[in-house]
Amino acid sequence: MNENVIEAENVVKYFDGRCVLDGINLKVPRGCIYGLLGRNASGKTTIIRILLGLEPPTRGQTFLLGAESTGLSAKVHGRIGYVAEGHNLIQNYKVGRLAKLCKDLSLHWNDKFFEHLTETFRLPMDRRIGQLSIGMRAQLNLSLALAIDPELLILDDPTLGLDTVARRQFLELAIDLIGQQGRTILFSSHILSDVERIADRIGILAGGKLVVDCALEELKNRVKKFRLIFPESAPENLYLTEIVNKEIEGREIVITVANWNQQKQNMLETFKPSSCTELPMSLEDIFIECTRPDVAPLAHL
Amino acid sequence: MFTLIKREIEDHIAYFLGAAVLSSTLVVLSIWAAYNYGPEEAPLYPIGLSIPVIVILVIGSPALGASQMYTDRNRKVSAFLSALPVTRGRILVARIITGILAILTVLAPLAITALFLWHLLVPPIPIYPCPIFDIFVTALLMAFACYCLGLLTGWASSKVTPTLAGLALTFVLIPLIMVKGFGLHTAVILVLFIIASLIRTWQKFMSTAL
Repeated sequence: MNENVIEAENVVKYFDGRCVLDGINLKVPRGCIYGLLGRNASGKTTIIRILLGLEPPTRGQTFLLGAESTGLSAKVHGRIGYVAEGHNLIQNYKVGRLAKLCKDLSLHWNDKFFEHLTETFRLPMDRRIGQLSIGMRAQLNLSLALAIDPELLILDDPTLGLDTVARRQFLELAIDLIGQQGRTILFSSHILSDVERIADRIGILAGGKLVVDCALEELKNRVKKFRLIFPESAPENLYLTEIVNKEIEGREIVITVANWNQQKQNMLETFKPSSCTELPMSLEDIFIECTRPDVAPLAHL
Repeated sequence: MFTLIKREIEDHIAYFLGAAVLSSTLVVLSIWAAYNYGPEEAPLYPIGLSIPVIVILVIGSPALGASQMYTDRNRKVSAFLSALPVTRGRILVARIITGILAILTVLAPLAITALFLWHLLVPPIPIYPCPIFDIFVTALLMAFACYCLGLLTGWASSKVTPTLAGLALTFVLIPLIMVKGFGLHTAVILVLFIIASLIRTWQKFMSTAL
């Protein structure tokens, strides 16, 4: 059995001559909760759509549950739950009719769970989808995706438009799902605290490349930020490999370095700073540093 | 597949209701004409009946095809369905079957009525064969060819060129039937046209981003 539920091999995508994805390689093992991050228009939705076979790649191949994305069979689709960005539901249908359509087309349908979700979210079954608020559409989309008991759940910015309570409910649902063995989740989000809470692996897209692809804890351990104070003016020629960001002001340098190790520590000490303080970094800080426009592409973390 | 066909019919129920009303009206009219004008003019009924039917089908069937594809594109129906255990191929096949069913809703009752009246009113003369089968097949193929054009037009992002091309081809098809008549030659040409249109629609539908 293929243990990588999601695979992308050298995926390149151009839109009107503009390169959106530039050689993306991605592997998500079974049971992983993968948080895909990136700024607006960084290609998160595009890679998700390519994975699902909704968008053809310009070059490269992608696989979901061992099957090539461009030719996913109905049986494979039946094992995947998908919440699209903007919640592409059929607007002129009533909630009940759409739910029945999904139920009739699905291979597995958990009626009790769907009813539980619609009651939790208080979704009106007799109202047209076009008349629902964005938040309600998000909840309905999530309920439909979860009711099929998916082996792989792909969520493209699922909490967009949800209020704090609904977001918390969604996270709890996701955590419940994670509790079930063998479930894999790929999700993109702009709310980094959500990602930090549930993801165990992180990918960051910037400039069309996957600049970060590693476990969340590993990412936090390997990206370090230091404040260095020198006895006289800060050296202009302070050089280390994989510097993500460097800000010099008088005697002070604030430096962010990827793949921090003992060798880099020794190298830094040769510049003889009078003090070296490590600054704590949240996922949000790391994300901001890694997606700066002037940052050179990092080696895979 | 049945669910997909049912969904297509429900979404385009107006076309089916229109087809049923049209078909019923024409059936009643043809029975009324047959009993009022007697058996002398009976051989002319199928031909007389086929002209308005063909004109209506030439307008109605591409409208249905274009409407199915345009609604899909506009409301992102296939994008939603593709996330379910449904392949694009099945969505298109269900759509095409729905189109054929709509055409048959008009043609089948008319063909049955015409056949019934023919056998009832026209004396069995061996040198004058029953034209109803030929008319039915040609009308069905022509309506389906126009429907396929509608599918192609409705899926294209640019509407002007395919619409003009569709209109031009429709105006070629009507004189073709008038010149060649109802029969094998016309059927072969229409079948070739249908295959070409379907291949192009299939290729576009399967490869376009949803």
